[in-house]
Amino acid sequence: MRVPLKWLSEYVDLSLDPGELAELLTASGTSVEGVEKVGGEWRGCVVGRILEVSPHPSADRLSVCRVDVGGAARDIVCGAPNVRPGMVSPVALPGSKLPDGRNIGEAEIRGVVSSGMLLSERELGISDDAAGIMELDEALQPGMDLAEALEAEDTVLVLEITPNRPDCLSVLGVAREVAALTGRRVRRPRFELLEEGEPAASEVKVEILEADRCPRYVARLIEGVSIGPSPWWLRNRLRAAGMRPINNVVDVTNYVMLELGQPLHAFDFHLLRDGHIIVRCRRDGERLTTLDGVERDLHPDDLLICDPGGPVALAGVMGGENTEVNPGTVKVLLESAHFSAPGIMLTSRRHDLSSEASYRFERGVDPAGCLFAADRAAFLIRETAGGRVRRGAVDVVAKPEVLLPRELSLRVERAARLIGITLSASEARGMLESLEMEVSPAVMGGESPADVVGEGSAPPRVVAGGEGDGEVLRVKVPTFRPDLEREIDLVEELARVYGYHRIPATLPRTSNNVGFLTREQGLRREIARVMVGCGLHEAITWAFIPSWWMDLLDPGGKLLPERPLRLRNPLSEEASVMRPTLIPGLLEAARFNINRRIPDVHIFEMGRVFLPLGEGDLPHEPLLLGCLVCGRWVPKGWDQEAVEADFFVLKGILETLARALHVEDCSLRREEYPFLHPGRSAKVLLNGEEAGFLGTLHPRVAEALDLPGGAEIMELDVCTLVKAAREVPPYREIPRFPAVNVDLAVVVREEVEAWEVEGVIREAGGELLREVRLFDLYRGGQLAEGEKSLAYNLVFYALDRTLRDEEARRAVEGIVRALGEKLGARLR
Amino acid sequence: MIPEELEEEMLSHPGLGAVYRKLKEELAGADDTRSLEEIRVAYLGRKGAITSVLQGIKELPPEERRSTGRLANLLKQGLEEELASRLEGIRQRELEESLRRERLDISLPGRRVPYGTRHLLSSIIEEIEDIFIGLGYRVAEGPEVELDYYNFEALNTPDWHPSKSLQDTFYVEIPGSGRRDVLLRTHTSPVQIRVMESTPPPVYIIAPGKAYRHDVPDATHSPMFHQVEGLAVDEGISLGDLKGTLETFAKRMFGEDRKVRFRPHFFPFTEPSAEVDVSCNMCGGAGCRVCKGTGWLEILGAGMVDPNVFAYVGYDPEKWSGFAFGMGVERIALLKYGVPDIRFFFDNDLRLLRQY
Repeated sequence: MRVPLKWLSEYVDLSLDPGELAELLTASGTSVEGVEKVGGEWRGCVVGRILEVSPHPSADRLSVCRVDVGGAARDIVCGAPNVRPGMVSPVALPGSKLPDGRNIGEAEIRGVVSSGMLLSERELGISDDAAGIMELDEALQPGMDLAEALEAEDTVLVLEITPNRPDCLSVLGVAREVAALTGRRVRRPRFELLEEGEPAASEVKVEILEADRCPRYVARLIEGVSIGPSPWWLRNRLRAAGMRPINNVVDVTNYVMLELGQPLHAFDFHLLRDGHIIVRCRRDGERLTTLDGVERDLHPDDLLICDPGGPVALAGVMGGENTEVNPGTVKVLLESAHFSAPGIMLTSRRHDLSSEASYRFERGVDPAGCLFAADRAAFLIRETAGGRVRRGAVDVVAKPEVLLPRELSLRVERAARLIGITLSASEARGMLESLEMEVSPAVMGGESPADVVGEGSAPPRVVAGGEGDGEVLRVKVPTFRPDLEREIDLVEELARVYGYHRIPATLPRTSNNVGFLTREQGLRREIARVMVGCGLHEAITWAFIPSWWMDLLDPGGKLLPERPLRLRNPLSEEASVMRPTLIPGLLEAARFNINRRIPDVHIFEMGRVFLPLGEGDLPHEPLLLGCLVCGRWVPKGWDQEAVEADFFVLKGILETLARALHVEDCSLRREEYPFLHPGRSAKVLLNGEEAGFLGTLHPRVAEALDLPGGAEIMELDVCTLVKAAREVPPYREIPRFPAVNVDLAVVVREEVEAWEVEGVIREAGGELLREVRLFDLYRGGQLAEGEKSLAYNLVFYALDRTLRDEEARRAVEGIVRALGEKLGARLR
Repeated sequence: MIPEELEEEMLSHPGLGAVYRKLKEELAGADDTRSLEEIRVAYLGRKGAITSVLQGIKELPPEERRSTGRLANLLKQGLEEELASRLEGIRQRELEESLRRERLDISLPGRRVPYGTRHLLSSIIEEIEDIFIGLGYRVAEGPEVELDYYNFEALNTPDWHPSKSLQDTFYVEIPGSGRRDVLLRTHTSPVQIRVMESTPPPVYIIAPGKAYRHDVPDATHSPMFHQVEGLAVDEGISLGDLKGTLETFAKRMFGEDRKVRFRPHFFPFTEPSAEVDVSCNMCGGAGCRVCKGTGWLEILGAGMVDPNVFAYVGYDPEKWSGFAFGMGVERIALLKYGVPDIRFFFDNDLRLLRQY
């Protein structure tokens, strides 16, 4: 909403400068988004009076005008056809600059020196009219600054009006707000409407078939108008308020809408059949071409203004082309109606058509203001377009209750408590009255205010104490405030007028409230920290993915939900499925970086995935931890070789995580997944419970994604991780006696896996064997094809004595024997 | 080695004079540990020259014994000291040499220990959580796929409200069901309702998490974003308490020197409602491009819980009052760290991730 301050000052005295006013409005909830200066683009232009017009000596179509611009008269060459002596017009003097950027200087035109330029409206940036020089009021003093003469310079406040305050979508509404905040009074526009001739009702009939959606319709009839451009003041104000002038009648409807907030529409009366307005919904097959030239299919629920021949306007949204005011219009039917908000909103949305009118009706217009607005517009049409206003308005009220002011109760003490201030009844009363509410004291206690939410709520408490405590006020809310429906709405008004900045800042006086993270929330943070400590960077990827991922990762449809969760209205097919796994997002992130020549990607994400449950249920949303590494884990350095980000890097991260969370048993079980390399994939078990998977991306998937280097990926269920975590493990005795270290290298067949060897070692090693660590894996050399050597460091100790070498040697012999028997292993 | 005044006496001593002269000669040529050790053996060893003189004292005539013994002992002690100090000097030299050899180019890079980073948004969420935990709040969670009831209806948002349209909210197809009321939550506020439904007051919670809106991504819009919602319900909670709480938060989050401003605003689920601004840190409140010349940056929306919302969850609005607030995590990140484009948060460009 754009509010020109000169316009605003017609209705309220402005004692503040624009900056202070903006601050005051912002602080009271009418946010000022900008303070703009308008009309400053005419520096150097003045009012001139043409004294003589003589033909140009050497150009047929030019004339030389002698112009009084205050001081000495000067000659100005002009090509416009409408110049005549006595005409008062805008003049750009040499040295001035026009809105289009042109600099005006003294110029010689075909041998005649022109000291300045007579201006058209287009040259002034006022309209597209370039047919002739603009004519000004002949009473204006030559030499006067043009902007001043036209009162074009103004300051405009650009306001953000919240949807609950439709009353502020008008200059008068903003004036009311300013008056309440500055302790002034509002002046409503005053005018005397001259009515003539037969009553309008003799020719106009209004019929409302949808009373709920159109509770009131006021029509006025003006005849004998002549359509033309509006006077300067009207166009000037519309322009400052952000609207384009069209013609005098339409401009008046817009002007009154901006002034009072009531949208109006003017019909060419002769194009309406029988002068008969019918407000109804669409009938089969009806179409309407609206003023924007679009022929529209109408919806059965669209509310229409019709004549007996069919629709003539989309009610409250836009008029129809068929009855549009046009240059030949002489008789106008003026509509000032009330339409209820939801219906207008739906129609506007259905047709993707928003107008100044629909914007206001959607939010709520004062139903009691229809007649005044109609009178105001009729008055102004007569002023600007001439004609006669026919006697009386046709005012059909289909739903009279909308005209009654609402009555609310306000418990002053409660209001003060909710706001956190002290407030007397008389202060509260003063504030509400400044907002044009009628306030009277109500009975004390006993009677529950009708508007308090919740049936059977407690009666207002009467608190003994200072002045005004426990007092209840009866408040009559003006009809232009549809947002004030309950006691709490009045509390908000009090807080607003009191000023949020004056409310003391306090903290809740709670005593027994303790803030903490739950164990799971704490562990999630721990998990993320471990991942960071392991060298992974946290990613956040999109929760919606393209559906082709499902076929790529799981062509057989065995693993991922057969019917993943889809969006009904995705932004695009590429973002249409709610992810059932974090892997697509991580792979996309890897691709993003690799494409930007960052080949080493080490990332993790902790996020929810979406798994459909049974019919009608909300999906399951487990929180998962996903990890991806690809490229090099450690790049080649000056003193060390590069380390590839391979399976074992990711497995190491898993083991570190399990270690950090004190998971007792973290193991991998060989398992195939459709998107993982069948020889390099495993199910992750934590204390025997399945927690997720880990493996090398299947080469088929890597190729399809154009990831030639492949990737290692892991996904774990955070809930299972949390369950397996043990926060503080109990004390374990520290050995006081020295340990015996033994290195043991055994040769086994290639197909024997390390976990089998380690298992046999641990089993045969007995209780004195405390640690088993693989420190070498060797192939080739003197080993036969198909053999490998595994070398372990074994640590033996006893808690109660120093171990004799003999004891350790016997244990190792037992291990070697068992390895030989069970795995065919031999010492190397 | 020996006091100067005895030099003459030593040199002229019949037995020790020659020994002393030779010793001085040999010492002069000795510059490493080995030759010093040889000297020690040759003079002080069991068969060493000085040892022999000392052993031979008892053979001397009584009048010579005394002076010879004194001189020999003096020489022995002098030599021992000399050797010790010479050795110490050599060791010192050798150590210095080896230290010189072991000098490193300390400008070579350190051996890399991999270290990752948290996502900026996660760090901010944790920071917000910690501030409110300190104020006595707990962290609550709820589903991202929500019902219209929790996302809109129970939050007092009328059925015809524009935010419910297909152009503003993502709706979800539930397989095998005709339900039309399942959506991606457009804010984390539904967690409020779920918590109040299941917990009697007092309630002090914050609800961080993802939210979704049907916005085509651009520099300031993203169809997926993060929010932190807060709710406090207790006896006697006032708008002043909301002010104090958010002022405390804003100063913690943005700096003690920042100013905080409360402006009345409108939200369907709070009344009275407010928008909260902090003074712009780019221009210090003078007005710049970041704050669009106003000197203020809007950081969150808040208000007193609307009694209608209490009615939905069965709280008695006559007994309890409360406030709620909600903030966009991305916006805070944009403002606090100057990230210029919201889409950067979800590109996962390592060049950005590694910055935090």
